Amino acid sequence: MSNQRQASSASQVPHLSPAELSYLYTSLSLPKSSIRPDGRSPTQFRPLTAETNILPGTNGSARVGFADGTQAIVGVKAEVEKTVLSNETVDARSEFGISEDRGEQEGSAAVGGHGSWVQMSIEIPGFRDDDALPVFLSEMMRESLVGAVGSAEASDMTGGLKGRLVINKRWHWRLYIDVLLLSQPLSYPLPLLSLTTHLALLSTKLPKLKSQGEEDPFFDDDWAVAEYLYPRVSLSSAKHSARSPFVRPPVTLLVISVGENIIFDPNREEIAVADAVLAISITRDSEAGNLKLLSIRTVDPPSRLTQPGIPNSENVNMLGAVASTEDVAVLNPATGEEEVPGVWRPRRGGVKRSVIAEMVKTVLKKGGVGEEVLEGLEGVEVS
Amino acid sequence: MPLDTSTTYPLTKLRLDGRRWNELRLLQAQISTNPASSGSSYLSMGNTAIMCSVHGPAEGRRGDASGAGGSAGAIVDVEVNVAGFAGVDRKRRAGGSDKQSSRIATTLRSAFQSHLHTYLYPHSTISIHVSVLSADGSLLAAAINACTLALVDAGIPMPGLLCGCTAGMSGSASTPRDPRHDELDPLLDLSLPEEQELPVLTVGTTTSVPVGENNMDDEEGDMKVAVLTMDSKLHYTYIETMLAVGMDGCNQIRELLEGVIKGSSRA
Repeated sequence: MSNQRQASSASQVPHLSPAELSYLYTSLSLPKSSIRPDGRSPTQFRPLTAETNILPGTNGSARVGFADGTQAIVGVKAEVEKTVLSNETVDARSEFGISEDRGEQEGSAAVGGHGSWVQMSIEIPGFRDDDALPVFLSEMMRESLVGAVGSAEASDMTGGLKGRLVINKRWHWRLYIDVLLLSQPLSYPLPLLSLTTHLALLSTKLPKLKSQGEEDPFFDDDWAVAEYLYPRVSLSSAKHSARSPFVRPPVTLLVISVGENIIFDPNREEIAVADAVLAISITRDSEAGNLKLLSIRTVDPPSRLTQPGIPNSENVNMLGAVASTEDVAVLNPATGEEEVPGVWRPRRGGVKRSVIAEMVKTVLKKGGVGEEVLEGLEGVEVS
Repeated sequence: MPLDTSTTYPLTKLRLDGRRWNELRLLQAQISTNPASSGSSYLSMGNTAIMCSVHGPAEGRRGDASGAGGSAGAIVDVEVNVAGFAGVDRKRRAGGSDKQSSRIATTLRSAFQSHLHTYLYPHSTISIHVSVLSADGSLLAAAINACTLALVDAGIPMPGLLCGCTAGMSGSASTPRDPRHDELDPLLDLSLPEEQELPVLTVGTTTSVPVGENNMDDEEGDMKVAVLTMDSKLHYTYIETMLAVGMDGCNQIRELLEGVIKGSSRA
């Protein structure tokens, strides 16, 4: 039971003693200069290897492996499907004024696309596919995928991914994204799965449409002329601008806060002492190349489940052996709780607004973490 | 003209993908692909691609250890996962696993449970995880080969490499075989279209345990059939031919796998 609970939380909590947790927390929360156990800077990511187009039987695929041996493979398959406009929604609209908005959405699905056209499933060894972790993760990544609405003037990507899937009023593409995690989740798998999905979508191609307008769709059977789902930069235009001004699939970054510090791509030990764990989804969706924040989700921090340390003043074995002045409770500026330095207390979650604002700023600013990640992924050769 | 083996093969003596009856598909394999597991492998036979990782031998979960088998030797635990994107059409599986993958898992478990020297690791579990990335026939045979490689990589002792291969006949073969004029050829290593159309048999063989001194001059080495499954209907007079072809295929695969294992230690 406890095993289940841990698994549904941010990650399996490593076996660290309260003293170790406290040490880790103190070094990570050092003002302005956190010291991470693996020596990375706060915004530095773990090294990874990536390749795309590894499965010839899919529309797009990618494999990403972190140095610690966790690997994920994503395959994207697309199918043509008839667009069904349900009569129910039309009825509902006329009967209840309240559901007007929903009815409007359904009715315009033929033009703007519909979120249910993208399906995502995650396979994690040791978990059933209806367990909490895979379901939560897939929904978290799917919602940012379909939520991205392009504001670009570019004809293809208006309406974001959903709009791209529309063929004509009666037909549309349905996208199946299958994620396989090949190893046990050593750390919270969200960054790995999100990066892999991003790469797979970048390499996804759809056959070129030969029919026009409202005809039944008919495709060119030459795979060499197939078009990318997310249009790629042509070599000539890439020379003009350093970064690509095109719509890109979203990336979800895992960020933790420890004290006042913000730490990106945390490993398992770092998550175990985090005050708050946030999943931030960003995308690039306009010609200007600005990043856009899609969603912020909080993830249940596993530090809630850790064992507390006992200060000497409350320890029966230490009674009288210690001077009362040695441990005086001080107010932790980050959490507003009274704490004895060096004694671990389980975090209760919660994060200050200023910290969240700082996180978003670090991700979105020019030359910030978000841009760095997207550029790094762009650099992976899509053959 | 329909493109299937039973109509085109007698005319051309070539199969749908251009192979002759006794040719294997291109086999590529790699071991130690995943540093996070005790042993891992990647194997592709034609368009069938499989990744396999082995964890253990390790202490089993508390619930499993109470079983009677646990005290005598290691328990082999196999999980097979056919990815949604493996086939031509994306397949939605309801719940956890489908019939095909659980059958492969059961066959692999019983094959390796008796094949490995499990008595060396009492009270422990060897868990094997097989992911099918792309399915194009001979799934069980490819899974056996991938598991063997991963188990070798994990350093788990076994008497010899367990290799699997499929064999079929180039027609429905429902009437007794006429030895004077044989019109059906046996086929080696079937792909998915062939597997769906023709009778097919999966055979897995291993070499015998080297015991005694005069084993060395036995140059061919005894082959033992360790796995044999067949789902389709076929007249029994053809079985022997198919088995012989399948075992010959296993021999070829064994040489290829040995090459992979020896090649990877050099690097």
